[in-house]
Amino acid sequence: MMQEKKRDFDFLLLLVTLTLMGVGLIMVFSSSYVVAEEQLGDRFFYLRRQGFWALLGLGGMYFFSRFDYRHLRRLAPVLVLINFILLTMVFVPGLGLEVKDAQRWIGIGSITIQPSEFTKLSMVIFTAAFFSSRSIKIDRFWSSTFIPVLVMGLSFLFIVQQPDLGSALVIALGTATLIFVAGVPWQQLAAMSALAIPAVGYLAISESYRFKRLISFLDPWADPTGTGYHIIQSLYALGPGGLFGVGLGQSRQKFYYLPEPHNDFIFSIIGEELGFIGAVTVLLLFFVLLWRGLKIALTINEIFGSLLAAGITIMLGVQVLVNIGVVTGSLPVTGLNLPLVSFGGSSLFLTLCSIGILLNLSRHAGEQ
Amino acid sequence: MPQYSVSPVNVKKRLFYLFIAFFALSLVLILRLAWIQIVQAEELYDRAWEQWNRTVPAQSPRGSIYDRQQVLLAGSSTVETVVAIPPRIKNPRETAEALAEVLEMPGEQIKEVITMDRSAVYLKRKVDDETAKKIREMELKGVTFTPEGERFYPHSSLASQVMGFVGIDQGWGGLEIYYDNELQGSEGRMYFPSDARGEQIPHEIKRFAPPRQGMDLHLTIDQTIQHIMERELSRAYVEHEAKRVMGLAVDPQTGEILAASSKPDFEPGKYAEYSPRRWSLAPVTDSFEPGSTLKLVTLAAAIEQGIYHEEEGFYCPGHKEVSGINIGCWTGDGHGDINYLEAVQGSCNPAFITMGQKLGKEKLFSYLEGFGYGARTGIDYPGEGRGNLFAPENIGPVELATSSFGQGVSVTPLQQAMAVSAQANGGDLLKPYLVKEIRDEEGDLAEENQPEKIRQVISRETSQEVTDTMVSVVEEGSGINAAIEGYRVAGKTGTAQKVGPEGTYLPGEFILSFIGFAPADDPQVLIYVAVDGSTRGAQWGGQVSAPLFRRIMEDVLSYKEIYPDNTLSPQQIDMVEVPDLTGLSEEEAAERLFEKELKLKIVGDGDRIVKQVPSGGSEVPARTRVIAYSKDRELAPEETVVPDMSGFTIREASKVAGWVDLDLKVDGSGIATRQDLEPGEVVERGVRLEVEFQSLEE
Repeated sequence: MMQEKKRDFDFLLLLVTLTLMGVGLIMVFSSSYVVAEEQLGDRFFYLRRQGFWALLGLGGMYFFSRFDYRHLRRLAPVLVLINFILLTMVFVPGLGLEVKDAQRWIGIGSITIQPSEFTKLSMVIFTAAFFSSRSIKIDRFWSSTFIPVLVMGLSFLFIVQQPDLGSALVIALGTATLIFVAGVPWQQLAAMSALAIPAVGYLAISESYRFKRLISFLDPWADPTGTGYHIIQSLYALGPGGLFGVGLGQSRQKFYYLPEPHNDFIFSIIGEELGFIGAVTVLLLFFVLLWRGLKIALTINEIFGSLLAAGITIMLGVQVLVNIGVVTGSLPVTGLNLPLVSFGGSSLFLTLCSIGILLNLSRHAGEQ
Repeated sequence: MPQYSVSPVNVKKRLFYLFIAFFALSLVLILRLAWIQIVQAEELYDRAWEQWNRTVPAQSPRGSIYDRQQVLLAGSSTVETVVAIPPRIKNPRETAEALAEVLEMPGEQIKEVITMDRSAVYLKRKVDDETAKKIREMELKGVTFTPEGERFYPHSSLASQVMGFVGIDQGWGGLEIYYDNELQGSEGRMYFPSDARGEQIPHEIKRFAPPRQGMDLHLTIDQTIQHIMERELSRAYVEHEAKRVMGLAVDPQTGEILAASSKPDFEPGKYAEYSPRRWSLAPVTDSFEPGSTLKLVTLAAAIEQGIYHEEEGFYCPGHKEVSGINIGCWTGDGHGDINYLEAVQGSCNPAFITMGQKLGKEKLFSYLEGFGYGARTGIDYPGEGRGNLFAPENIGPVELATSSFGQGVSVTPLQQAMAVSAQANGGDLLKPYLVKEIRDEEGDLAEENQPEKIRQVISRETSQEVTDTMVSVVEEGSGINAAIEGYRVAGKTGTAQKVGPEGTYLPGEFILSFIGFAPADDPQVLIYVAVDGSTRGAQWGGQVSAPLFRRIMEDVLSYKEIYPDNTLSPQQIDMVEVPDLTGLSEEEAAERLFEKELKLKIVGDGDRIVKQVPSGGSEVPARTRVIAYSKDRELAPEETVVPDMSGFTIREASKVAGWVDLDLKVDGSGIATRQDLEPGEVVERGVRLEVEFQSLEE
C-alpha cells in the first residue's frame, strides 16, 4: 500500500461524536445527581467518573485516529485471545465483581472494566480481518463463515453466563449483520437464521424471568409493578415530556421511579426533560453518525477497512436502535446502554476508540 | 488488484441495504416517539401524575357551636395523631419496640401496622401533648404526625344534651349528629410531589383541594337562660330526690328554644363515662302522660266553640261517672259548688270531662291534633318523640273523658310547649328550632332557620281568653306558687301518674309539671318544667313544679331586662295562720296546708305528725314552708334517725336537729347542701351531725 497525501478525517463524524458525548455528560449528571447525592453524598459522583472516562476515551480516540488501522488486521487473533481471557476473568473470584446478581465486570483497583464491551470491538476486528483474507471462499460455510460464527458463539455463551443477554444479543446481531455485509450468500444466511432463531428463542424461554420480561413490553400494564415496571416508568418519562420537555434537570422520573436513569434508561430522561424535540435530535445525531460510518465503509475500497468501518458502525447502530426500541416500549427490556450517552466507562472509552478507528479510516477513503 | 474472495461490489450493495434498514428503523422509532410524546402525552401524564403525587388528607377543624349571644359552647382544638409511613421505616422491629412503651400498645401490633403495604397508616389517633413530645424526641424515621381536631366544651356539661357529643370522626348525638354534615365540613387533600419511595421532592404542587372547613352553628339557646334553668333543675333534682327533672324554655313568638335540659345529664367531653340514658334531651325525645297541663287544650277548644262560660255554675262532687266507671277528681272530696272559672283554677277533673263531652270526640281530638299533639314538631334534633293519642276507632266515652283532662294520652314536653306557645302568641302553632344560623368559616350566612308557622289553631280572641284564664290560675288558683310579684304570669300545673311497663299506673310515682309564660300581655318566655318520680314532698304540681317554674322565670325575666310593672297592684302577700298539724297523716297535712297556700316538708316516716315549725297558730306569709316531724316507729330509746337536712335554712335545721336529738354543727351559711351522716341512718341520740350550708346566690 502506498502512503499517499494525507487526507482530512471526517470532521462531521467528529463533531457529532463530541456533541453526543457532551449531551451524555450533561444527561448523566442531570439524571444521576438525585440518587448520587442521596446514596453517595456526592451529586457529581457519576459525572466525575463519566468525565474521567470521556477524557481517557478522547485520548484513545486521538490515538486510534493516528494509528494506521491496517495494523489491526494482524492484531485480530491476539485481540480474540485477550477477549476470551477477559471473559474468563469475570468468573475468577477476586477479579470478577458481582453486582446485582450478575458478573459483568472485572475490578482493577477502583476501576471496573466490562469485558463484553471489548468483545464488541474485537469481534468486529476479527470478523473484518477474517473475511479480508485471500484464502476465504465466501460461498463455503465450514471453512469460512463458520469461523467468526464460532468465535462469536463462544463469546456469546460466556456473556450469557454472566448473565448479560442484552450485550450478548447485540454482539450476535452485530456480528451476523457484519457477516451479511461481507457478502455471505443468501442461502447461508437463511440457513443460519433458521438455526439461530430457535436457539435464541430457547435462551429466552429457558429462564422464566426472561420470557416474562420478553413479552411484558407487549402489555406492560398487565404487571405494572413487576415485569412491566421498567417500560411503564420509561413511558411515564417520555409521555409527560411531551413535545418540548419539562426542562433540563426537571425530570420527576429520576426520583427513584426509573431504575438506572443515568444508564440504560437515559434516553427516557432525555425525552422527559428535552421532549420529543430533544429525543429526536439525539436520534438524528446518531443517524448522522451511522450515515457517516456507512459512508466511510462505502468509500474504502479495501475489504478489511471497509468491513471494519461497517462493523464498528453496525455495532453502534444495533445498540442505538435496540436501546431506543427498549425505552419506547417497542422491544423487550434487554438491559443495554446507549453508546456515548449512557453512563459506563468501558462502553464510553471503547466507543470513542472505535470512532477513532473510524476517523483513521475516513482518511483512507478513496484509496486504491 | 488482487482478486479477493469477498467482492467489494457485493459489500457495497449490502452496505446500501444496511443503510436503508438503519434509515427505516430510525424512522419507525421517531414515529413511535411521536406517538408516545405527542399523541399519548396527556394520558401518560395523567397516569404518571397519580404516582408522582401522594395525597395527605388535610383535616379541617370541626365547626364551633355558639349560643345566641355568640358565647362558645363547643369548639375544636388541634391534637396530634401519630402516623407511620411504612416505606420509610427501615427497621420495623426496632421502631415497633421503641413505640410500644410510649403508645401503650403491644409491639407486635405496631410492627404489623408499620409493615403494611400502604403509603401511610394511623398508629394512634389523638395522642396527648406529652406522648407526642416523647415520640418526637425519639426521631424515628418514618414516624410523623398529622393534626386532627378534638372537641372541647368550655362549659363542661352545660347544654350537653342539646349539643350531644363527638366520637372519633363524627358526631354521635344531639346537634353534633343532626348537623354533622355542616359541622364536619369536607376533608381536603394536599397533593405533594414525591419520589418512588414516598419522600417529598422539590417540585411544585400541581393540584390542591383545600378542605372545606366545618361551619359554625349559632343556636337559639341562650347560655344564660340555659344556665339558670340547669341550676334550678339540679337543685330540684337534689331537693326532691327526683328520678329526673326536665325543663324547656321557648320564645313563644318565634318557636326558638332558649334553653332545654334534663337532669341528670353528662359531660360531652367524657360522654363514655355516663350512662347513655343521660345523653338524650328528654323534653324532646320522651313522651309521657301530661296530666292537667293538657286541660288547656280542652279549655281553648271550649272557648273557641263557645261552650265555655266562666260564670256558669258547676257542681263537683269529687268524681264523675262515665259509662259506669267512676272517674275521680284529684281533690277526693270535690270542689263542690263552683263556677267554670273556679273549676279551671282548681283544675277540676269533672268540669273538664263535662267540657270534653260537650265538645265531642271529633272536636276535642281535632283540637289536640291541631295543637300538634300526636305528631312530631319537626325540631332540628335527632330522635324526637311523637307521643300517642288514641286512635279514632278506640275513642270511647271513657277515653274522651280522660283525654279531656290529660290522662291516657302521651305527649312530649316540647309538644306541650309549642301548644301553649300557640295559646300565648295569638293562636299560631310554630315549628320549634334549635339552630338559628349556620355560618361558614368566613362568618357568612350559609343557612338560616326562620320562625315557621305551621297553622293557626285558635283565634286571637280565644288565645287572649285562655291566657287570661291561665293568669287567674296563677294569681288565684292551683298555680299560686308560680306567681311573681310585678308580673302577670300565665300558667297551669300538671300532675300525672306514671304508667309502668304493664300499662298500669305506678302507685306513688308522679310526674309533676308546670307550664307557663310571662309577661302575659306580651309573652316573651315560655317555660315548661317537670319533676319525674318525686318520692318526697308534696305530690302536686302546684307544690313542686310551680315554685321551680317561678325561680327560673323570675331570673330569666330579670336577665331579659323585662322589669316588673309597678302599675300592677303589688301582689298582696297574704299572711296566713299556720294550721296545727299534730296527729295528722302526711296526706292530710298536705291538704290542710294547700288550702292555706303553705308548703309542706316532712321529716321522719312515722304515721302521725308530732311536731312542726312554724308552730300551729302562728301568722306567716303565704307560701311559707312548714316542716313537720312524724316520729319514727320502733326505735330503741337511745336511738334516733338522721333526717335529710338538704334545702333547710340554719334555723330550720337547728329546730329539726332538736326534734331528733342530734348535735348540729353548722358550716357556712345559706341553705343546707351536704351532711356527713346519711339520711335515714339509725344513730345514737346526741351524736354530732355536721351540715354544710351554701348560699344559693351565684
